[in-house]
Amino acid sequence: MKLIKTRLLKTNLNMWSILSLVFVLLIILPMLNIFLNIFNETSEYWPHIKEYLLFNYIISTFTLVTFSGLFTVIIGTSLAWLVTAYKFPMSGFFKWGLILPLAVPSYIAGFTYHGLLNYTGIIQAFLRNSLDIQVNQRYFNIMSTRGAVFILTMVLYPYVFAIVRAFLTKQSADLIENARVLGKSPLEVFFQVVLPISRAAIIGGVSLVILEVLNEFGLVSYFGIPTFSVAIFRTWFGLSDLDSAVRLAAILMVMVLTILLAEKVIRGRKRFSYSTSKVRPISPTDLKGTKGHLAFGYCFAIFSFGFLIPTLQLIHWAFLTYQDVLNANFLGYLFNSVKVASIASVIIVFIALIISNYCRIKENFLTKVYTRITILGYSIPGAVIAVVVMIFFISLDNRLYGVYQVITPTSGRLVLTTSLAMLIFAYIVRFLGIGYNSIESGFDKIGKSYFEASRMLGMSVTKTFFKIDLAMIKTAIFSGFILVFVDILKELPLTMILRTFNFHTLATKAYQYANDEMIHEAAIASLFIIFSSAILIYFLNKNLVKEGR
Amino acid sequence: MYVNIKGLNFKYHNAKEQTIVDFNLEIQKGEVISIFGQSGSGKSTALRLLAGLEIPKSGLIEIDKRVMVDDKIFVQPEKRGLGMVFQDYALFPHMTVEGNVKFGLKNMHNKEKERRVEEVLELVELKDYKKRYPHEISGGQQQRVALARALAPKPLLLLLDEPFSNLDADLHAKIRNDLKKIIAQAGITSIFVTHNKEDSIAIANRVVVLEKGIIIKTGNPTEIFMSSAIKKNKVKAL
Repeated sequence: MKLIKTRLLKTNLNMWSILSLVFVLLIILPMLNIFLNIFNETSEYWPHIKEYLLFNYIISTFTLVTFSGLFTVIIGTSLAWLVTAYKFPMSGFFKWGLILPLAVPSYIAGFTYHGLLNYTGIIQAFLRNSLDIQVNQRYFNIMSTRGAVFILTMVLYPYVFAIVRAFLTKQSADLIENARVLGKSPLEVFFQVVLPISRAAIIGGVSLVILEVLNEFGLVSYFGIPTFSVAIFRTWFGLSDLDSAVRLAAILMVMVLTILLAEKVIRGRKRFSYSTSKVRPISPTDLKGTKGHLAFGYCFAIFSFGFLIPTLQLIHWAFLTYQDVLNANFLGYLFNSVKVASIASVIIVFIALIISNYCRIKENFLTKVYTRITILGYSIPGAVIAVVVMIFFISLDNRLYGVYQVITPTSGRLVLTTSLAMLIFAYIVRFLGIGYNSIESGFDKIGKSYFEASRMLGMSVTKTFFKIDLAMIKTAIFSGFILVFVDILKELPLTMILRTFNFHTLATKAYQYANDEMIHEAAIASLFIIFSSAILIYFLNKNLVKEGR
Repeated sequence: MYVNIKGLNFKYHNAKEQTIVDFNLEIQKGEVISIFGQSGSGKSTALRLLAGLEIPKSGLIEIDKRVMVDDKIFVQPEKRGLGMVFQDYALFPHMTVEGNVKFGLKNMHNKEKERRVEEVLELVELKDYKKRYPHEISGGQQQRVALARALAPKPLLLLLDEPFSNLDADLHAKIRNDLKKIIAQAGITSIFVTHNKEDSIAIANRVVVLEKGIIIKTGNPTEIFMSSAIKKNKVKAL
């Protein structure tokens, strides 16, 4: 038995297993670290936070999560059903057009709507100057919890929409037609058949929405809503109390883990779709006349709120300000964005390739755990990851101080902590899951027989990887890279918290302009982010359609 | 003995029962063996254990006096020097026929490699298809490329996993004969897995009948399949 164990160890110990273990540990250890930090003695502010603020944080986070969750479910599901089951003017466009609001980061939508609706905004100015109407400012103030729910709903419903639509498209028409034949009206069909069967897909979509809301930082901070993410940031930078920030981060992390667990439990073993593709899809019914116009109107209204209105407004502002904004500094921010995004994306693709290749070769309990850990980061709010990474880097710096002094005797204590390495590490923790999923699905598609054939022809795992696997999954690698790249381009909380002094990306600069009440100046950077995401969504959608998924 | 398998046991980690139970087999050089059984009998697993694509719980595999697996040693598949034809052929789609066949040739000058590619492609009568990509040739031709690719590095042993399962029924007999001819010409010790008794009778010198991971019979294919013992057992695949 002992001999066999030694043999097992020898056959399993190679570059792939060692590197995978190292990467997985690098991701999970800092996170576990914050739970250990809870046992530190509390700081002087903690009793105050606990007594007066914590309740507020919980209430406002809970309100945002509940209402955005509820509204995204209503809007996302109804839109998905409309474009799947019916044909009406422009329904073909809406199938992917309604995903576009995902390209608008919530903080950008937030300050755009604020600029649009405030006293000097185009709407009030028009009412005042052309129609001589003075409005009650209360109704035009979007910077409230209600306003935040509106914005979050409008930019996040596509998660529910896309997943439910994908599910319904693959759904067998038989169920729905049976219900119709049994004399159910379209509304009854929707509520009694479509909703129940799409339950798993809806839960999948809305849990993504909830995780995004918990991750939300720019919008709520701009609107002054004290959610957990904002609280972590304020405690840390306002009160300089990292210990309490850690505690808040730990609470938020527990919430996230609860949601992930709840999603698993509620969804149970139900899949989003049939395992075979041999089901006849629903063929859409024509909606004519008023009904068709109503359906179009509903879709167009949501599309406008989520994408068209903010984008048009930003384009207008861009025309007003491009002469002042488009200068060498702007190019610098653009360069910074591209630089950090490409470095992080390349590293992420590299790590994702190693872990996913190892996990597909060795399918066992351990590799399942690896996969879970690798994709965990995407569920964890940026503010939490920021705290996690900061603490990790500070302790790293403390440990390496001796080494620094050997290299440069005058070296300060914090070297890594004051470098971009920390930000890039945080990006990796947060976005590794995105790259991993893409590459893993690439590996899934090619299966294992090419790999085995190559091994039988005398190539080692590593040689096979370079000669066969890489060539066969290059599309998946490329799309993984682009997905991560664009996500990093949009990223705000991590960049805000972990950037080095005076380092700006397009996202942080846009946010800073908006925060300094220079909303118009934020337009060009914002448009840049929106358009790169929109192009990505367009191509991804096209690929999905092509692959018939 | 050229191939010596002793007390081989194997279980997939999420399975309840062992897939291969106390598997013993000796093969002489030049023999063509067929491992016969229904689906789920463990026949493909036996082949994968030989190939090194699965690691046995216990047991010994020795090929040409070299230990491939025992309690202390596990030789990785790429170091075993065996050739394998996969059920779905697994021809690399981004390489031409020539590229595929050349892939396994190592420690040779380019000229030598080219000569060897010519040789094996001639053996499988596909010399004119060198520059084609796998998707540009028929199923039967793909199988012959896979065979040529496996034979090119002059393996110690040729393993074939259900070689006829992906082919049209009317081509079956012809391709079976072609395969028999090629194996005979190459003079290589071969093991193939099948659930078709006619395949066994047509190609193999000896058949090993596997049921639930256990060898229940071994011997001359014609005799085995005519014997009443098997008929009583009602092997469904017949």
